[in-house]
Amino acid sequence: MAHTEHAHDHGHEPLVIEDDAGNLEGLHLIEAVQAVLARKGLISAGEIMLEIQAIEAPGRHLGARIVARAWSDPAYKQRLLENGKNGAAELGIKVGEAQLEVVENAPGVHNLVVCTLCSCYPRSILGQPPSWYISKAYRARAVREPARVLEEFGVDLPEGTVIRVHDSNADLRYLVLPERPKGTEGMSEEALAELVTRDSMIGVARLGTEAASSSQTAREPN
Amino acid sequence: MRGYHDIGGNAAGPVPKLELPWLFWEKKVEAIRNLLGDGTRRLISLDELRHGFESFGVEKYKRYSFYRRRLEAVIDTLEVKGVLTRGEVDAELARIRREWEDGESHG
Amino acid sequence: MADGERIPARFQVGERVAVLELNKAGHVRTPHYIRGRAGEIIEFVGYFLNPEDLSVGITSGPVYPLYRVRFLLKDLWPDYARNPGDELCIEVYDHWLASPASESMNSTRAE
Repeated sequence: MAHTEHAHDHGHEPLVIEDDAGNLEGLHLIEAVQAVLARKGLISAGEIMLEIQAIEAPGRHLGARIVARAWSDPAYKQRLLENGKNGAAELGIKVGEAQLEVVENAPGVHNLVVCTLCSCYPRSILGQPPSWYISKAYRARAVREPARVLEEFGVDLPEGTVIRVHDSNADLRYLVLPERPKGTEGMSEEALAELVTRDSMIGVARLGTEAASSSQTAREPN
Repeated sequence: MRGYHDIGGNAAGPVPKLELPWLFWEKKVEAIRNLLGDGTRRLISLDELRHGFESFGVEKYKRYSFYRRRLEAVIDTLEVKGVLTRGEVDAELARIRREWEDGESHG
Repeated sequence: MADGERIPARFQVGERVAVLELNKAGHVRTPHYIRGRAGEIIEFVGYFLNPEDLSVGITSGPVYPLYRVRFLLKDLWPDYARNPGDELCIEVYDHWLASPASESMNSTRAE
C-alpha cells in the first residue's frame, strides 16, 4: 500500500529525499500508527508532544558549552576526556546514550566522527544529525578517504597531521573537542561558546581565522 | 554475509552537503519510537529498529527516506510482536486520508 | 546464563587483536571493512548487552565486554596513500576478537 514512487532517489544521489507527497504520506502514516497505539492504550498524544519537545531541545549550544568549559578550565577538560558523560553532567547536561567519548583535536591530530552502519550521533548533546551525516556518501567515504571528505568541507589539514576517524558503531557516542582558536585569550566562557560550530564538534570543520567574526557562528535551524 | 547498510569504504560520489529541515512527522516518528522503547513499554529497542530496516530488503532501504525507513521498521516490528497489524494501520490510514481529502475539498 | 552475568574480558589495553569473520546473519555491529584486520585495543569501554540479542527482542542475559580498537587506515585499505599514521577507531565486542597469533590475518578476510 505504500506509495513511494515519489521518494526521490536519483541514481547516484546518495540521499533519499521525500517530496511533498512523500512527506504528506509519512505524516498520514505516523498519524495512523499513533491512532492504533492510542486505541490500544499504549501511548497518548500528550506523551508524544512532551517527547517531541525533549528531542527538539538539544543542539549546538549544549556541545558548545562543554567545549567552552574545557577550553577555559584544564582540570575540567581532563575530567571530560576521562569520562564525557560525567563531564557533561557537571554542566547539568544529561547524556542519554550509554557513554560520551570526547576526542581532542591538537596540533598534528584531527578527529572526525562518522557512523558507517546507520546514523549514530550524540543526539542528546547535538540534536538530530545533519542530512549529509546520514548520507551514503559520507558514511561510505569518511573511513576510506577522510582527507578528501574533509577537503569537500573546506578543511585543508596541514601536512603531517594525523587523521583519527571514529566509527560510531556501538554504545559510545563521540564529540570532537576542537582546538581553541588563536586570539581568544581572555574571552569569557559564554563568548567562547558562541565560536563553537556544530560541524567543528563532528570534525568536518576547524575553528580558526573566522574566530574574530561572530558571523561565522553556525546556528542550527532547529 | 554483508548487509546492504554496511557500506563503510564503498565508493561513492561527493557528500551532499544538505541541511534539510527536521519535519514534524519525522519528529513524531522519533518520539513514538523513543516512547515505545522506554522503560515502561520496552516494545522496540534501538537494535530491533535497526534490525528492522537492515532486514526489510534492499529495495525498501534504497527507496525510503531516512525517517520513512524507521517508520516502516517500527510498524514491521510491532506487527511481529503482535502489538498491531498492518491491516489496522491501513484502516486508520484510509480514514485519515478521507478526512484530509474532505478537509481539502471543503476548506 | 544468568542476567547481567559478565562474559570475561579476554583482552587488555595495548594488546594486538584481530577481528573475526563470524559470518553471522542478522543485526551485527561489526562492519565488514574491519573484519580480518589487525588492530590494537585502546580502551576497555564496559559491559553491554549484545546487540545481536537485543535486535531480536532478547533484553536479558549476559553482558559482553566492549573495547575501542584502533587500526591504521593503511592496514584497512591497501591503496591508502595519505599519512601512514592515520587511524580508524571503532568499538568491537569481545566475541568478535581473537589474538592475531591465532588468526591467519589475511586469509580470514572474505570478500
